[in-house]
Amino acid sequence: MVDVAVVGAGQTKYGNHPLGLKGMWAEAAERAFASIDGDFSPSMVDEAFIGSLAFGGAQLGNTAALLTEHSGMDGVPVRRVENACASSGFAFRDAWMAIKSGQADVVVAGGIEKMNDLTPERKRFWLGVSGDTEWERLAGLTFPGTYALMARRHFHEYGSTHDDLVNISVKNHAHGALNPLAHIQKQVTFEKAASGFMVADPLTLYDCCPTSDGASCVILAADHVVKRFTDSPVWVRGSGAASDNLALHDRPSITQLKATQQAAKLAYGQSGLTANDIDLAEVHDCFTIAELMATEDLGFAERGQGGEFAREQRGMLNQGNVTINPSGGLKSKGHPLGATGTGQVVEVFKQLRHEVEQGRQVDDAENALTHNVGGSGATCAVHVFGREIA
Amino acid sequence: MMESDVWKGYLAAWTEQCIMIQSPFVHKGIRVFGPDSDYTTFAIAAIQLHLQNGGLLSVVSAPSEIEPSIVQYATGIEISTMDNDSTPEWDLLIGDDATVVLALNNSSFELPEFETKIEVDAQFHESMMAAWKKELNISNVSQGAYVSMALYNEGANTRMTLASDVFGNGPVWPPRQMDSSGQRPDVQRQPLQTNGIVESWTALSAAGAPSEFSLRAPLLEGLTTVYVRLTDGPHGVFLMVDDEEHDISIGNSVEFVIRRIYGQESVVRYGLKARPI
Repeated sequence: MVDVAVVGAGQTKYGNHPLGLKGMWAEAAERAFASIDGDFSPSMVDEAFIGSLAFGGAQLGNTAALLTEHSGMDGVPVRRVENACASSGFAFRDAWMAIKSGQADVVVAGGIEKMNDLTPERKRFWLGVSGDTEWERLAGLTFPGTYALMARRHFHEYGSTHDDLVNISVKNHAHGALNPLAHIQKQVTFEKAASGFMVADPLTLYDCCPTSDGASCVILAADHVVKRFTDSPVWVRGSGAASDNLALHDRPSITQLKATQQAAKLAYGQSGLTANDIDLAEVHDCFTIAELMATEDLGFAERGQGGEFAREQRGMLNQGNVTINPSGGLKSKGHPLGATGTGQVVEVFKQLRHEVEQGRQVDDAENALTHNVGGSGATCAVHVFGREIA
Repeated sequence: MMESDVWKGYLAAWTEQCIMIQSPFVHKGIRVFGPDSDYTTFAIAAIQLHLQNGGLLSVVSAPSEIEPSIVQYATGIEISTMDNDSTPEWDLLIGDDATVVLALNNSSFELPEFETKIEVDAQFHESMMAAWKKELNISNVSQGAYVSMALYNEGANTRMTLASDVFGNGPVWPPRQMDSSGQRPDVQRQPLQTNGIVESWTALSAAGAPSEFSLRAPLLEGLTTVYVRLTDGPHGVFLMVDDEEHDISIGNSVEFVIRRIYGQESVVRYGLKARPI
């Protein structure tokens, strides 16, 4: 069966972006096109998948066609992929499957979200539409509250503490401070992160990712055309995805994400790699507790040991076996919902090609993983990448 | 001789022929509703107490201040209206203050005077009443989640009575449409016990609360939500109520009571809230 590689990747800076949807997407696509070493034209694209929640509803219908129209991909079959915050993780998987199926050779996967042009009330509405609305919203829950319930339960079951979450926040801010594309490019001290404004007890402002504008775009190619574009592709060695109950109360456990576990099992299985082989992981830390649980669900820490992993800063850049969120993660790099999944791939693409800015490169990076979660765990896409083909 | 106790967070007194539900809160010498109660929640509490005491009831009359569909969803008891020809033997009566009486037709009774009187903070009370009025104004366009009336009504009975489906070895709540073998659930829904144990909780700041609560959350200094293991097994998430004097912890016991949740398009949405016991 055909193998698939990423041959180009680019993104906007995340944050309060001055441009709207068309401008942001064009910027990300332009950077992705420019990152391709060989000759490339958007007319070469066979298929495109663009993830977005369509935050704010301004372009809820035909979002993707509008974006390809403004990035030179005239006539390319395209669709919007929506799985909440995991939209472009799934767009990437769909792009991978399009090539795997033999129906396409060159495919674009991307994502976009414009979040900072709304009133605070509208933002809170859109930030809360991806849970089980009928049951969770009527209990006063949006995602800060949902993840706070997970955090407190994890503390109770495993003895993890809020200090462990603070360590995650400090680490990701330290990484993000080195990333020129990050939304929040500043370090925070443990003391400051520990004393943040309480958003949803026990989660403070420093446990929560920001609402960011941003777009990301990656270009995938089939093995038989890869050489046209680059001599240093990043191979997609495994793709896994899964879903779970939307509502927290419908799950057997709220201290682990079953969708992550299942997606990771599939992706590792295809890749022939294990967690021990991964040098860097971009994980979905919409809240610090989400990263703590991800380190367990992805196999970097034993069940219940995520707190200890964080406490010992084993995910800090080049400190342990695996660097977690060298980009700064959602916490510091930012979280433009639909753009996040392929934004993680942008980071992995640069890391595995050893093209990251000075001071942020993971040493000798050979294999990497992305982990993109929708909502509180209803959907999850995990991908494993390598400099070498399996 | 009337018996009396606290019931669902309200003052209650009863005989075989009469049940009175009254607010513990007083403002300017008059009994007033708490932040999420009204005649409808009092009427439901009265019927629930009567049924709990073994009383029989099928149809009752009620004034327009009591929302008949909510009472029926929550209790299964029909409210007589001009549209149905049922003849009620019991009447729901409301007072000028925050009092509801459920009484057998033509029975005579003397209402007791409760000593419990909790003086509400005047500014809080008036601000809360104003917030509800604004929230329920038809011209107020909420930025909150849009749970349509059709969607709300579809789940109202299971939401308010904890009616569960039967799948395999045990009850499932909230209800599901189909199990993993593609089978529809047993249609004989069973109401679960209305209590449980807190397994996790969070207190959302007013700024972090969903936007449908944006008018009232600042007055309440945020919202507390609990993740509860119901006594019969399933889990649920619920807003806390009557918890001003309680520090919530994992392992606490709670009971469920019907209260106002929020208002949208001039309609109050009611549901279960968790109350410390």
